[in-house]
Amino acid sequence: MSPIILLRGIYAIWLREITRATRDRAQLIGGVSRPLIWLLILGVGLNPYFRGEVYGEVRFVIPYTYLQFLFPAVIVLNIMYTSIQFAVSVIWDREFGFLREVLVSPMPRPLILLGKVLGGSTIAMIHGGLVLILARFADVTLTLGQMFVALGLMFVLAFGLTSFGVLLAARVRSFEGFGVFSNTIILPLYFASSSVFPLDPALTRTQMVTAYPEWLVFLVQINPITYAVDALRGVLIGFNQFPPTYGWAVIAAMAVVFFLVALIDFSRS
Amino acid sequence: MNSAAIEVNNVSAAYGNKKALDAVTLVVPAGSSFALLGPNGAGKTTLINILCTLRRPDGGTAVVAGADVITRPTQARRSIGVVFQDSSLDDRLTAWENLEFHGLVYGMAARPRRAMIDSVLDLVELGDWTHEIVRSFSGGMRRRLEIARALLHEPKILFLDEPTVGLDAQTRQRIWQYLDRLRRERDLTVLTTTHYIEEVEGADIVCIIDHGKIIAQASPEALKREHGVRSLHVIPQDAAAAELIVQRFPEAHRLGAEGLVIPADQDAQTDAFLAEFRDRLSEVRFQPPTLESVFLSLTGRQLRDRTDGQRDADRAAGQRGGRR
Repeated sequence: MSPIILLRGIYAIWLREITRATRDRAQLIGGVSRPLIWLLILGVGLNPYFRGEVYGEVRFVIPYTYLQFLFPAVIVLNIMYTSIQFAVSVIWDREFGFLREVLVSPMPRPLILLGKVLGGSTIAMIHGGLVLILARFADVTLTLGQMFVALGLMFVLAFGLTSFGVLLAARVRSFEGFGVFSNTIILPLYFASSSVFPLDPALTRTQMVTAYPEWLVFLVQINPITYAVDALRGVLIGFNQFPPTYGWAVIAAMAVVFFLVALIDFSRS
Repeated sequence: MNSAAIEVNNVSAAYGNKKALDAVTLVVPAGSSFALLGPNGAGKTTLINILCTLRRPDGGTAVVAGADVITRPTQARRSIGVVFQDSSLDDRLTAWENLEFHGLVYGMAARPRRAMIDSVLDLVELGDWTHEIVRSFSGGMRRRLEIARALLHEPKILFLDEPTVGLDAQTRQRIWQYLDRLRRERDLTVLTTTHYIEEVEGADIVCIIDHGKIIAQASPEALKREHGVRSLHVIPQDAAAAELIVQRFPEAHRLGAEGLVIPADQDAQTDAFLAEFRDRLSEVRFQPPTLESVFLSLTGRQLRDRTDGQRDADRAAGQRGGRR
């Protein structure tokens, strides 16, 4: 088959996801209200306490406000929710028969999955992008270039997480089961990603005043989301807790590995 | 040119230990209307799934529009249109969006795609509903839209799995009208499965399937000639007479509140019956062989007994929006 024909198919599957997302008000409301709650309540509430004070004594000066620090993490949270919840649409297709309509078509199976994941990633990236509108409020000033790099990074991250959601969906068959399951995955991963607190309270890589127990540091260090948040912080506020290349590498690896596993799952069923 | 649209050779399929299809062999001539008739669970849907490449057979070969479904599934998929038993529309999209999706997935270019969308929507008389969300459609409208969608990429073969389940009599009749017209106008091969015996009368070939095996395959007329049984429909004058008839002729069975049906394939027996009960009947009528009697004499079972209850269940499912 010629590439143009295959592209039409991918476009159709992608477009269907976008169309469905624009008709789903609840999803959009969630995508807007979630960052507002996190930034307005948690961010504003904790802002005054983020100033390098350890046991009542100011030890170091931090060059960022808490809102600035939290801002990139909220983007990642929004992407995580939308990406992983996207798997519900995979379950929906399977339960209500739409999947068969695509499976009897001449579209190759891998491209069906690609179109689907691209659609989900686009929606998740848009939900992440919505948070950028709040940048000024969080005292984050962005150039156009930074925005584009951030959106690119968000898209690749969304692609990996959407694939992850799809492979969860292949294992969890019911809608209800998936709802519970996704929540027990998203929040722990998010909290253990150095999203709401820095690993090193001094915010410097050299100063080793660690106020956290070993196990927590270990959890944060093995969590891939940590590196996604870190990469986005690097782009948006110029702060990295790890070497900047780590984040990019982890995001790219997630996209490739999760998509390939989802693909193997999909071809088998 | 190949005169067979579908060739199925010795195909079997099993779910665990249960055999769904047992060495099925059949040929569907190009341009014909082929009906697969059998009770629920006979293996009809399994066969359709194999023919539209959704399921691999556990043995045997199947060739659809000249392409082997196992070795060249993509080519087979291009020449078929499928209407599944349960709706496979996206009910959050409009009718047009569903068709546009289908056209794109089948790689149709913009101009012919748009033209065909208009043409198939007109065919199933849904032109006024083009930009309505499918969720608001009735069961019959959804089914018509699905037929339109299956025809959009101009397939050579159309598969319809129980296309009229859950629909009222009027809608069912309309759907059969579309299908007849299509076959005449577009030289299409149509393979339908059904358990409604009255719907296969118009088919060129009827294939009766039961317990995964093909038990007869011929035109409705030939089937009736060979396997059909003429019967005598009578209404006794009173309950006592009915009781007596059932005692004397155990093969008689009841029809409705007071009627009785007696096989009338042997003249001697029929004569004896009429001689004995002539004066105690209020109505006597000969019924020519029906496909129902063909099914009964081939399988020893009634198809209708089961389908009437089934039809109610189907209708209820239809009212729930096609979900079971």
